[in-house]
Amino acid sequence: MQVGEEFGIRVSLRRVNGGRIRGCHFGHGFMSENQASALSSIAVLIAAVAGGSRAALKRLYELESRRLFGIAVRIVRRPDVAAEVLQDAFVQIWQNAHRFSPERGAGSAWLTGIVRFRALDAVRGTGREILSDDPTLGDIAVAPDMIEQIEAQEGAVALHRCLASLDESQRRCIVLAYVDGFSHAEIAQHLNSPLGSVKSWVRRGLLALRRCLES
Amino acid sequence: MIPQDQDELRALAGEYVLGVLAPDEVREIEAAMPTNAALSSAVTFWQEKLHPLAGRAPPGEPPPATWDKIASRIDGLTSTPKAVGVWNRPSLWRWSTLGFAAAAAVLVLYIAVTPLSHGPRYVAVLHAPQEEQADWIATSGRRGLVVRTVTGMTAPTGRAFELWVIGPGTAGPKSLGVIPSDGTLHVDSAPPSVRSGATLAISVEPPGGSPTKQPTGPVVFVGALSEL
Repeated sequence: MQVGEEFGIRVSLRRVNGGRIRGCHFGHGFMSENQASALSSIAVLIAAVAGGSRAALKRLYELESRRLFGIAVRIVRRPDVAAEVLQDAFVQIWQNAHRFSPERGAGSAWLTGIVRFRALDAVRGTGREILSDDPTLGDIAVAPDMIEQIEAQEGAVALHRCLASLDESQRRCIVLAYVDGFSHAEIAQHLNSPLGSVKSWVRRGLLALRRCLES
Repeated sequence: MIPQDQDELRALAGEYVLGVLAPDEVREIEAAMPTNAALSSAVTFWQEKLHPLAGRAPPGEPPPATWDKIASRIDGLTSTPKAVGVWNRPSLWRWSTLGFAAAAAVLVLYIAVTPLSHGPRYVAVLHAPQEEQADWIATSGRRGLVVRTVTGMTAPTGRAFELWVIGPGTAGPKSLGVIPSDGTLHVDSAPPSVRSGATLAISVEPPGGSPTKQPTGPVVFVGALSEL
C-alpha cells in the first residue's frame, strides 16, 4: 500500500453533495522510499485511531481487512476462527494504536504482526489439522504470478534474494513458521526431522538472513 | 533471561516474530521490550524485513458481519483511546458519519459557537479521500482563515500536517501553513485564491512543513470551499 497509489497521486475531490468533481495530482518525488513508507496512509490512519477516531479504524478495516483475513485463514485454516481472530486484532489495534510509531516501521507490518500473533494464539490453544501434502503450505513452490506479486512489494526483492541464499532446510523452516504459523514441533513433523535440528535451522537461518539483509 | 550478546538477541527477536517461542518466553520478551531498546529494535527489524512473506497468504473476504462485531465490542469497552475535547465527543462525530448532510449540521454548530463577529464567507468540510467522515472544518472571512479538526486528527509522530489551497484555474497547490499540534490553524490574511471553487488539502510533511513549497507527503484530507 504505497502513499502514491493511495492518497499521494490520485485524490478524488468531492463537493458537499458527495458528487466527484475532478481529480488532482500531487507528486512526492522528493521523498526517499523509507520516508514514503513511514508516511503511508496506513500510518496516518493508525495515528488517527490513537486519537480516538473510530472512523479511522473503520477505514483501516476497509483497506486492510481482506489482506489480514487472508493471513489469519492461512494460519488458523478455518474461516470462522479467522473471523474471530480479525475481530480480536481490530479491538487490539483500537486499544494499542498509541503504541505505534511510524519511525519504528511501516503501519501495514505492525497490523500484520498483531493479526499473526492473535492467529497463533488461536491455533496454539486449540490445535489444528494440516495435511502435510496441502498444496497451500508456504514452503511448497508457489505459482509464478504469486512470486511476481510478492517481488513487486517494497523490500521483498532483498528478502527473496537472502532467503534464496539460505540452506533449503533453514529457508523452509522460516517460511513455514512465518506464513503458516508452524511451531518447532509442527515443522519437525512436516519435514520429518528431529526437533533439535529444526530449532537449530530456524536459529541459524535467522542469523544468516540478518547478515545477508544488512550487507 | 534476555541475552546481552547481539547475535543471541537478534536470533531471539527473530524467533519471537516468527512465533515459535514458548508462551513464557513470549511473556518475558514482551515485558522487556519497553525498557530494552536493543531488543525492541531487533523485533522491529524482523517485523519489517519478514513482512513481504505475508504476501504469500492470498487475501480473502471476511464474513460481512465482522466489522459490526468489532464496532460493538469497541462500544462495550470502558477505556477508549485518548479522545478529549468537545470536538471529539462521539455524539458529535457520530452525526457526521451519517454523511455530508450531517457534516453540514456540525458545520452550522461550529459557526454558531465561533466568535467571529462578521461570520465566515467561505466554508469547507475536509475529509479523507473516499471517506464520508468529516475530519476538518475550514472557515474563511474578514478575520482570516481558520481550520480546525473535528475528530482529533493528529499527524504521525515526528511529522506535521500542512494546509494547501488549490485555487480554481491555478496550476499548483499553495501552502497556507503548518497546522499546530492542537489541531487548529489561523491564517490571518488568506491569499485571494481562498475563495469559492478552490480546494483545501492537508498533506503529511516533515516538522516545519514541506521543504520544497509543494506537498512532498501524502495528501490525506481534501475539501472544496463554497460560499455561505
